[in-house]
Amino acid sequence: MRDGDRDDLEFHRRLSEGDRGAFDELYRRYAGAAYGLAYRVTGQQILAQDVVHDAFMALWRTPEAFDPARGPFRTFFLALVHHRAVDLVRRESRLRARSERAANLEPLVGEDPADAIAEESYLGVRRKEVREALASLPSEQRQVLEMAYFGGKTQVQIAEELGIPLGTVKTRTFAAMRKLRAALEEIS
Amino acid sequence: MIDRHGETQELLAGYVLQSLSSEDAAEADRLLTEHVPGCSECRMMLDAFQAVTGELSLDADPVRPPDPLLPRIHREMEPRGRWGARSTPGRLVAAVASVALVVGVGGLALAQHGGPSTPQVPTADVQELADYVIQHHPIQQQPLGGNAQELSAPGVQELFVYGRGVPFPGPGLVYRLWAVSRHHATHLHDFLPYPDGTVLVRLAVDPSSFDHLLVTVEPAGSQPSEPGDPAWPEAG
Repeated sequence: MRDGDRDDLEFHRRLSEGDRGAFDELYRRYAGAAYGLAYRVTGQQILAQDVVHDAFMALWRTPEAFDPARGPFRTFFLALVHHRAVDLVRRESRLRARSERAANLEPLVGEDPADAIAEESYLGVRRKEVREALASLPSEQRQVLEMAYFGGKTQVQIAEELGIPLGTVKTRTFAAMRKLRAALEEIS
Repeated sequence: MIDRHGETQELLAGYVLQSLSSEDAAEADRLLTEHVPGCSECRMMLDAFQAVTGELSLDADPVRPPDPLLPRIHREMEPRGRWGARSTPGRLVAAVASVALVVGVGGLALAQHGGPSTPQVPTADVQELADYVIQHHPIQQQPLGGNAQELSAPGVQELFVYGRGVPFPGPGLVYRLWAVSRHHATHLHDFLPYPDGTVLVRLAVDPSSFDHLLVTVEPAGSQPSEPGDPAWPEAG
């Protein structure tokens, strides 16, 4: 277990006991990653804010939803953020506009490359590893994975958009997930 | 020969990405209830896929959230919700038994088995259910779907929801229990299964005060305004 993951466990334990300082520390660690993810999925700052707000409130209200036996806190929490982001864009029935948003995200107010968020070094290391693992996937597998994960599209929608059989989308998705898992383990 | 594990895991890959169509999602739910809990290979793959989806999020560039967001969250952190771990002294979701318990009364048999690594079930929680079954025999059993059932007794203003092999609703989600009358649904409780799929919830509710119970899947911490889709449509 990485040091960052071990620290997260301790913060989560304290949060579960009602420690607001531990909550703030987890916010400091993950708000940037969570907001970046929510923004990429929803394409809108206001929706991304709602997603991050809801995810942190859920963490505060139901900390027991995280089971340390099932993996690091980081993967649990960011999966939670992703789930909410996808759920929100679907509920908002804005999927038709998603293609445009994915290609041209709403400009971030006050965005300045020089104001890049400073994140924990272990997160930055892991981010590099994830990108390396993603880059190792065959392009057609990576494509369906990104359309599903960041595009919030169903496999049926992906099949229609790419003009390929649904079975092919399923096969590529499965293969991509397995390869990504193996690649992440190898890189780690 | 059909590779059942392969087919299941292919569905699980789409399931963790939330990209299944409604038909495939229903099949995934069925497999998560009937096959995955008892299949170590598929369970391990599900955990691995869920971890991968968490890692995948790091491909998105981090972005500093607006400064007012944290103060907004702080304002809403008080008071805590009824489901919060620190504010539910009467919380009724039981833990998992590490010993076998069999309560057999009137055809009702509850068996909880756990291995050495399974958390201990609080004796008081198990005893409460056992006492209820024994004292209020005969117990009425109403299937809720998803391997869960409502246990109630006429004239007793208390009931249990019990289940084994109940699938986890997914990251960031909880099961939400509603008492449904003709034109109204009342939120009763939110719950999650324990790691082995056990659910045990006690509710101080008069079973004659509503028509039936409904379980939905909802985002954890969300306001219970009205029921969403049923968690287990097969309950009818």
